[in-house]
Amino acid sequence: MRVADQQIYGTLLGNLQRSRLQIMDAQEQISSQKKVQRPSDDPMAFGEIVLDKSALSRTEQWIRNISFGQSRIDAADKAVSQAQDLVTRIRELTIQGSSDTTSAQGRTAIAQEVRQLQRQLLQIANTEVAGQFIFSGTETDVRPYSSTSGDTVAYAGNSETQAVAVGENQTVQILIPGNSIFSGATTNVFDTVRDLLTALEGNDRSGVQAALGSLDQATAQLSDAQGTIGGLGNRLQVTKDALDTATLTISRAISDNQDADLATAITQLRMQEVAVEAASQAFTRIFDQTLLNYLR
Amino acid sequence: MSLNALFGIGTNALATFQQALSVTGQNISNVNTPGHSRQEIILSETQPQNSRPGQVGTGVEAEQIRRSVDTFVEQQLQNSHERLGQFGATRSALNQIEPFFADSNDLGVGAAMNEFFSAWQDVANNPTDLTGRTVLLSKAAVLTGRFNQAAVQLADQREALDGQVRQGITDINGLADQVADLNVQIKFAEVSGQQANDLRDQRGRLLNQLAELIDISTLEDSTGQVNVFIGNGQSLVAGHTTYDLSGVSNSSNGGLVDVMYDAGSGATTPLQSVITGGRLKGLLDSRDTIIPSLQTTLDTLAAQLVSQINTQHQAGYGLDGSTAQAFFSSGGTTAAKMSVALTDRNKIAASSTAAGVPGNNVNALAITTLQTTAVAGLGNTTFQAYYSAAAGSFGATLQSAERDLSAQEIIHQQLEAHRAEVSGVSLDEELVNLLKYQRAFQVASKLITTSDEMLQTILSIKR
Repeated sequence: MRVADQQIYGTLLGNLQRSRLQIMDAQEQISSQKKVQRPSDDPMAFGEIVLDKSALSRTEQWIRNISFGQSRIDAADKAVSQAQDLVTRIRELTIQGSSDTTSAQGRTAIAQEVRQLQRQLLQIANTEVAGQFIFSGTETDVRPYSSTSGDTVAYAGNSETQAVAVGENQTVQILIPGNSIFSGATTNVFDTVRDLLTALEGNDRSGVQAALGSLDQATAQLSDAQGTIGGLGNRLQVTKDALDTATLTISRAISDNQDADLATAITQLRMQEVAVEAASQAFTRIFDQTLLNYLR
Repeated sequence: MSLNALFGIGTNALATFQQALSVTGQNISNVNTPGHSRQEIILSETQPQNSRPGQVGTGVEAEQIRRSVDTFVEQQLQNSHERLGQFGATRSALNQIEPFFADSNDLGVGAAMNEFFSAWQDVANNPTDLTGRTVLLSKAAVLTGRFNQAAVQLADQREALDGQVRQGITDINGLADQVADLNVQIKFAEVSGQQANDLRDQRGRLLNQLAELIDISTLEDSTGQVNVFIGNGQSLVAGHTTYDLSGVSNSSNGGLVDVMYDAGSGATTPLQSVITGGRLKGLLDSRDTIIPSLQTTLDTLAAQLVSQINTQHQAGYGLDGSTAQAFFSSGGTTAAKMSVALTDRNKIAASSTAAGVPGNNVNALAITTLQTTAVAGLGNTTFQAYYSAAAGSFGATLQSAERDLSAQEIIHQQLEAHRAEVSGVSLDEELVNLLKYQRAFQVASKLITTSDEMLQTILSIKR
């Protein structure tokens, strides 16, 4: 077989170029830390990355939704528990007021305190988060409770609720309308307090006693609401924990498909560098091999 | 046998070795010339003279200057040029639109869809919050912007490829003319018994350049002229005549050119469908098949996004009580024309009822679930899955073009090595020839000196 000079140079050059190409590839992987940057790097993996990134974006958004929901639920929880405390205090005062030994004057004094507590209760029922009322159903721009005439308090919100997405086709309610907490189906806390005030100020002992029963119902209703709110908060937290795990899993899947394995890339780089070095040395050797050297 | 004959032998030898040295010189000087075929001088004895006791030789002559060439390898190289041209054109055409799929850096359409739906969720969380609504409108603008930009890029790339197709046609016509010119020169040289070695090398080079542009088949006739055929047998070069290709603008293909063949009576024969190799094939495939299919995919995706989002959006109520509002412009159902119709953030319909405003978010939630809903118009896949499949399939096309190209480059290199084995110049070999013929030249001149001395001896007898 003849060996022409073109063959030697051509082969060497071809090998050198291929090695350089692989060096470039390895360097790109090392500098970008990604092995799949373009669809043609690995079409299959690229498709998966696109889908996984979408899943990751959804999961992260669900976590955001939950954080948002938690702020509302926490505010509601705090408000209802404060309302509980107020009702408990009102109940204590009512017991005092219903006692035989309490004078008409005493009842008037109690009524004054109860009125204070009623105002606090009203304030709590009108709790706002970021300028939005949390107990007016979806009419978040409408003050849910305000006194109409005398001690009567009316509900101005609606009975709708709001939910946030926390997973694929999963939503959790983050809004509980005030008319199922304060002015609910069983009893209306504000009506009870109003009647109590009337009884106290009218020195009507049996009326005060009757209010005691209503107050118990109100406490039960608030506890119910608190249980519901606690349950929702718990669901949000549990879901968030699961989503945190899912985020990790998806991130890992993306990383597996997309991120360069630095050790492999660096090894590949070194290997190709050695190949280039060897080829370059072979190149210089060719000059030593010419017949010309022996014909002096 | 006269002394003069001895002189003759010497002179012949000198001339022949000088010629042999020129051939060697030609080989050495063309060691790096692409397409050059090594030439070899074939020596033979001249006609002997009858004499007693037997015939006496009359010296040496150069019978032929032979060009070392393996037509089989040359043919394979030509085919290889066709493939290199085709794969190279496809790869570089697709390479330029690949950055459109910038999803690994969160800059692609997929990433924009994710952000768009996330923004809807934020609106669902807090329907009264105006910031969330503003963000949603800007994310929607980003999404339509990505679609618009991709559409422009793809259209531009088709235009650019069209320019390359036109250039290819011009180049083919030019090369065909040069081949025809060389045909004439070779015919004239060889009809008078010459070997047109260097002209044949030149023509071989031109044919390879031609093959890189378009698939050709060649047939050499008895006079040494080569006939070149393209497509399914259309003659491009016949002896000294050429037939032109031309690019005819096709209005049903956006004014891009069709490749037409002119058999002498006008450019009327469509050639496009019978081109099977070369750059033109790669350019036409990318321009008329691969990119349009990507355009269709994007248009379908855009149209479905517009109609699905709009349908749901129109069912809801904005903060200002507005309803039946289109979110995206209902006319913009292509990637190029997709645009956001809503300008007033209060009109974003998060609520499912007029009474539920502002806190009702049921309609916004319904829109967010579209992100994971299979859409019939997309072959029962989600927006994201449809896009991901398109990216994957584009990637596979480009990847196979890249792989085909690098495989072909290796094959080509091997073929070049095969060619070099037969036709390449080996400097060692030439150096040996150089010495061989130089020595022979030296000794042949000694032959003349000796003859001269002998003649002197005879002349001195007379004195």
